[in-house]
Amino acid sequence: MRELPRRDFLKLTASALLTAAAAALAAPAAWAEKFYREPPWRRKKPYWGFGVDIEKCIGCARCVDACKTENDVPREPFYFRTWVERYIIRKDNEIKIDAPNGGLDGYPPVADPETVAKSFFVPKLCNLCESSPCVQVCPVGATFKTEDGVVLIDKKYCIGCRYCIQACPYGTRYFHPVLQVADKCSVCYHRLKRGMVTACVEVCPTGARMVGDLSDPESNVTKFRENNKVQTLKANMGTEPKLVYKGLDKEVR
Amino acid sequence: MKDIEHLLRVAVIFLASITVFLVVRAVVKPESYGKIGRYRAEALDDSKALPVRYAGQKECGPCHKAQVKEKAGSSHSGVSCESCHGALAAHVAAPKGAKPAKPAEAEMRRFCLRCHEASVSKPAKFPVQDGTKHNPDMACGMCHKPHAPKI
Amino acid sequence: MHDAVVVALRETLDKVTGFIYPNELELQWSILIVLYPYLTGLVAGAFILASLERVFNVKVLKPTYRLSLLTALAFLIIAPLPLQVHLGHPERSLNILFTPNPTSAMAMFGFVYLWYLMAVLLLEIWLDYRKEIVGWADTDPSWLKRLIYKVMTLGVFKPTEKSYEIDDRVGRALTIIGLPSAVLLHGYVGFIFGSIKANPWWSTPLMPIIFLFSAMASGIAGVMLLYMFLCWARDVEIEMPCLDTVAKYFLTAVIVAFSLEMLESIQTAYEAEEHFDIIQLLIEGKLYLSLIVIQICLGSLLPILLLGLTQLFELPDKVRKVFYAVSGSLSLIGIFAMRWNVVVGGQFFSKSLMGFTTYKLELAGREGLFSASVLCVLPLFVLGVLLWLLPPWDRKPGKA
Repeated sequence: MRELPRRDFLKLTASALLTAAAAALAAPAAWAEKFYREPPWRRKKPYWGFGVDIEKCIGCARCVDACKTENDVPREPFYFRTWVERYIIRKDNEIKIDAPNGGLDGYPPVADPETVAKSFFVPKLCNLCESSPCVQVCPVGATFKTEDGVVLIDKKYCIGCRYCIQACPYGTRYFHPVLQVADKCSVCYHRLKRGMVTACVEVCPTGARMVGDLSDPESNVTKFRENNKVQTLKANMGTEPKLVYKGLDKEVR
Repeated sequence: MKDIEHLLRVAVIFLASITVFLVVRAVVKPESYGKIGRYRAEALDDSKALPVRYAGQKECGPCHKAQVKEKAGSSHSGVSCESCHGALAAHVAAPKGAKPAKPAEAEMRRFCLRCHEASVSKPAKFPVQDGTKHNPDMACGMCHKPHAPKI
Repeated sequence: MHDAVVVALRETLDKVTGFIYPNELELQWSILIVLYPYLTGLVAGAFILASLERVFNVKVLKPTYRLSLLTALAFLIIAPLPLQVHLGHPERSLNILFTPNPTSAMAMFGFVYLWYLMAVLLLEIWLDYRKEIVGWADTDPSWLKRLIYKVMTLGVFKPTEKSYEIDDRVGRALTIIGLPSAVLLHGYVGFIFGSIKANPWWSTPLMPIIFLFSAMASGIAGVMLLYMFLCWARDVEIEMPCLDTVAKYFLTAVIVAFSLEMLESIQTAYEAEEHFDIIQLLIEGKLYLSLIVIQICLGSLLPILLLGLTQLFELPDKVRKVFYAVSGSLSLIGIFAMRWNVVVGGQFFSKSLMGFTTYKLELAGREGLFSASVLCVLPLFVLGVLLWLLPPWDRKPGKA
């Protein structure tokens, strides 16, 4: 190999350093642009989202019942695809949460209602995470996100390791005692594909729940997100749920 | 060569094992795996094919015109038929065979109060009654028609 | 089968304290999943001890070198069993090898495991024993063993002297690869837990390192106890310089593991994030016995004290042996408690951070205490077979 003259070497080094410095200066601007992430429903149609209006929920748990019927969820009080929690926040800041049998058994009357600062019901279901921890950890690809944004379980392929149940921050998964695989809310995928709404939305008497297409600018869920201040659960987890709540209190977990 | 003969044999065993693994994998791996994403594409069909139990509000009108119309003009207009009558896809498929379960007469009061019992937890605008004080011995239906409850 | 689960869960319903999400009543990862990191930990620890002799040329450790390798192999063979038994569909377990999900820590298990078992451990043991195997294939009194040895020679019955020299070099290279592999194997087990952001008791980048050092402590303790036991059983003198060195490494591992655990706890307490209250309740309540008493006091502090005494004072051999045996046993129990506290403890509290579920360890059944005990003892049986087949000590003619 020919030896590089010292001057050339210095020149080369200097220009390399200059280029690197210029790139470093320009970088923050380029990164800031990348900070905006296009929502997947810009390109994928349909793309399913869910909305819950806490201010409309009356805790009747028709949704819980319908979900169990529609999806053959075991009737035992510890297997749920959806359930309804009741929050009671007292004036002295004491917080009590309950969901007897997921809400199916009704809620015992509130003692000393005059000491209650506020109380409300919160329906829970799959949060339709865009970055789903459950999908991330599944060792075999038995739980996956469909092209239309729904997380499903392949019950013929699941090995039953339960890692996904550990990974879900919202406790929406359970281990099916008969099938011996993980199970969760599928947003009634079989109904969506037939042009129907989910069973829980169908029976909700107050319109507290809604399912719809995020890629459709006129859909109920798009309008719900635009016309209200909505929040997701545990936003700090970075899971980017497509389930949004209106009227979510800071005490809700 | 003779000095590393044993190592070569080990290498052959390793390569053979890997080959066997790859062959078995090619045979066993589900055909539709990876077609769309890292999952069995057929699982989508499995999910789509699941049976529907709740028929949906649209299905009731053609046969039960009067009731649907009555309800549509009432404060229960937003309550779907199946919310009270239960899953009715089987009834839609075979109207004579699978009769819808009405909330039982004896259970009616409890059933109505499941939504309408007064509670601090319910939204302020929602119509509620204190079940222990509001005509406790009477069936709701004596005054309120379920399909059009306003008196 | 599932009826029993449902009945048991019904019984736990009224033992819930506070609020939990309804699906959280069932504790998903049972004692079997406690066993898994425990067993792999022993593998990694034993192997790292062996590597110290080989890679860093610590000649004094020679008497435990082969024993460490065989111990690692015995535990490694059994390690995946508790996982397999725990699966809802054990018959589908190979899916994990055929269609691994690259974003899943668990999916990598099969490959890390096979790499470590096949490429590192088996090969290294085979190379190390090859000279003897060739000899035994001719001279062993038992025809069965002769047959096994013949197979193990892979048909090379008359190796050249040079080939043994090559073996030695290849073996050393393998150990150098093996060391990071062992670290990977167990660090990775820690990652399985440490990467679950949904669970604040698990989610810490320190988890793999904590797992690794406690693995070293348990593996070294395990080999140390086995060495002492086997010397006693074979009626030979323990080589004290070797035992002292092993104990020194053991002490180091215990101290590092304990410091890391405390560092993690202090960090959690000082940052006092949203989840701190529930974790405090967990430690003071359900984990008091297994964490404060067993893991910290008996499993870490007492061994550190005992081993520290052997370093500070010149104690007679007999006393040292007792101290080593006691602290080794305590540490093995303490590290089992540590695995329990991580795996089961992490599932006691609700992700709502508002309450606790319980776990009742059944006696019988697939995930009961009995099957867990069997899985715990099984590696020792495997080790027995390995010791019978590949005695790590010099076998004198005529003596078994």
